[in-house]
Amino acid sequence: MEFGWSEAQVGYRHEVRALLEAELPEDWDDIAVHGPGSAGQTEFSKRFCPRLAQHGMLIPHWPREFGGKDGAPWDHFVLGEEIWAAGEPRGPQYMNVNWIGPVLMRYGTDDQQQRFLPPIVAGSVIWCQGFSEPSSGSDLASLRTRAEKVDGGYLVNGSKVWTSYAGLADHCFLLARTSAQGKGAIVILLVPMSNPGIRVKQIPALIGEGDIHEVFFTDVFVPEKDRLGAEGQAWEIITYALQNERIGIPRYAFSRRILDRAVAKLQSEGRFEDPVLQDRAGRALAMCEAARLMVYKVVDERAKGRPPTAFGNLARWAVVQADHAVNDFMTEYMPEGLLGADPMQQAHHQRAIAAGIASGAAEIQLNLAARRYLDLPSENSRGL
Amino acid sequence: MDFEINDNQSAVLQGLDQLIGALNVEPSQQGVFSAFSSVLDEELRNGGYLRIACEEGFSLLDAALVVERIARLPVSAEVASSALVAPLLEEQDGPLALSTSIEAPSRFLPQARVLLVDVGDEVLSIDVDGGNVEHVETLFAYPYGRLRQTNDLEIRSLGPSLVAPLRRRWRLAIAVEGAGLMQAAVDHVVEHVKTRHQFGRPLGSFQAIQHRLAMAASTAAAARWLGLNAAYSDSETDCATAAAYVQDAIPRLTYDLHQFCGAMGLTLEFNLHYWTYRLKGLLGELGGSSKQARAAALNAWKQTG
Repeated sequence: MEFGWSEAQVGYRHEVRALLEAELPEDWDDIAVHGPGSAGQTEFSKRFCPRLAQHGMLIPHWPREFGGKDGAPWDHFVLGEEIWAAGEPRGPQYMNVNWIGPVLMRYGTDDQQQRFLPPIVAGSVIWCQGFSEPSSGSDLASLRTRAEKVDGGYLVNGSKVWTSYAGLADHCFLLARTSAQGKGAIVILLVPMSNPGIRVKQIPALIGEGDIHEVFFTDVFVPEKDRLGAEGQAWEIITYALQNERIGIPRYAFSRRILDRAVAKLQSEGRFEDPVLQDRAGRALAMCEAARLMVYKVVDERAKGRPPTAFGNLARWAVVQADHAVNDFMTEYMPEGLLGADPMQQAHHQRAIAAGIASGAAEIQLNLAARRYLDLPSENSRGL
Repeated sequence: MDFEINDNQSAVLQGLDQLIGALNVEPSQQGVFSAFSSVLDEELRNGGYLRIACEEGFSLLDAALVVERIARLPVSAEVASSALVAPLLEEQDGPLALSTSIEAPSRFLPQARVLLVDVGDEVLSIDVDGGNVEHVETLFAYPYGRLRQTNDLEIRSLGPSLVAPLRRRWRLAIAVEGAGLMQAAVDHVVEHVKTRHQFGRPLGSFQAIQHRLAMAASTAAAARWLGLNAAYSDSETDCATAAAYVQDAIPRLTYDLHQFCGAMGLTLEFNLHYWTYRLKGLLGELGGSSKQARAAALNAWKQTG
């Protein structure tokens, strides 16, 4: 057991920081304030991700056969921490490299891999995930969008909601069902968003521009070759994808960066002499550190090639708490940041308020932790 | 980064488990507020477990693993100060009591050979004679005592240079011991809510309880990793951060755990208090959570220039 970084890892972190410093423009804060799904950040991501790719920092953790460098999971996480802490200049493309690509590598056909992976590797494509529906949020398996089997493929009808990045996406990782019968009837379809049967409506939201949408599917034909995995395999794939997604974003790193910036500003203004501010900042720091170490525990298991465990659900809870602790501190003691003075604080605020909702509600994580980590009985248990 | 215990650490913990298994460390069936085990204390001391940080090939992290493991027992022993603080001293004979005041009651003072007092600008060392210590009745599940008379004490100053190291290791001790206590308390309550039925269902099947227990489990796990990380780095910031996290979490965690056990959790026969009332004892140590949080902040964000 040891908690230090190797020289190589420290060096790698410096490399990533240097690249970010060189590549992020002076007005990056003003771009980032609108959120990863905004037109500005999406556009920027299509310039930034190819630069990352040129430096071997877009998909270093991918296998070489798919264009990666067989990089260590820890390096991938160092990269993710630094980029997320900088305000996520990969925009929506972080999803591509974190889980859409890995899912395609694991479950995609050769044809799918040849068509869908190169644009991800080049940093030039935007995906959205068509998961939640108006009456199917946390209870994802209850989704109703139909994928009626027709000659040569599926005819999709239904709607999705809360779909991040849909407005500017090229493809949708779509969940639909072939019949009403449970999880086994769900299929995953890889759908071009240019299909004329797809209509996207942005939902104005507190969390930034272009972040959530309604997506309507009317008689959208999807050829069978664009179904990911076998029929009946979708839930296994979704579970795998979500395991990559849930701690995939090192949110605490952005929180810590924002907290560091805040304290530096408070110090420069002479306000950090206030013991109340010191106290509250210290508590927020403790939450960030707790989240960081909890997530590292999960990364350590991943690095050792072990299957995900319910500890990841506990870690996710800690991550949400850290985001809120920092955000609450900032909102209470530095409200000026949300009044136009600090675009990056606003960007953090908008991510923090979604931290317990995006990628699966935090309460679902608690359900899973109770059942799988603590081995508590289900709500249907009956006894004496 | 490696979150798994190594072979050496595994051997130490196995030896510790064997030692514990060979002793009767269950608290008395007669409900008592505090269950100090002099046998355990002595065996740990004789077995060299409390000096492990000073042994060649071992480290403060190994000592922290010992402290965390022993804290999970329902009985107490003076482990944390001896294993984590005493290595700072030239003379390391424990048991050791720590205080911020000569007059105030201190944990383990009835057993201690030495009382270290952090008086702000220096650390004082006082050899303790059991005859000069009066036992203090308390709900806290540790033995507490205070000096009967504070005049004519032979007080040695260990100087101002020991103040910061003492506080750092004291914070580490709070964090690591607190983590073990939290985990054991959560485990105890999880077993209770699995077997206690109300409304025809185990208590643990109710979501209101499941969520808060999962939060408590997350807190206990985070406390453990913060504590072990702090032991690894032995840095001012990490030790203060870990202690701040633990002390900050104690009120909520202990409230929830007692709440889930209803009136049973208020009885001495249920044993939950052996962990929660040690946690409550730790809550006020070294000035409480605000002091540790401020120390974490001031160390993390040292102003330059």
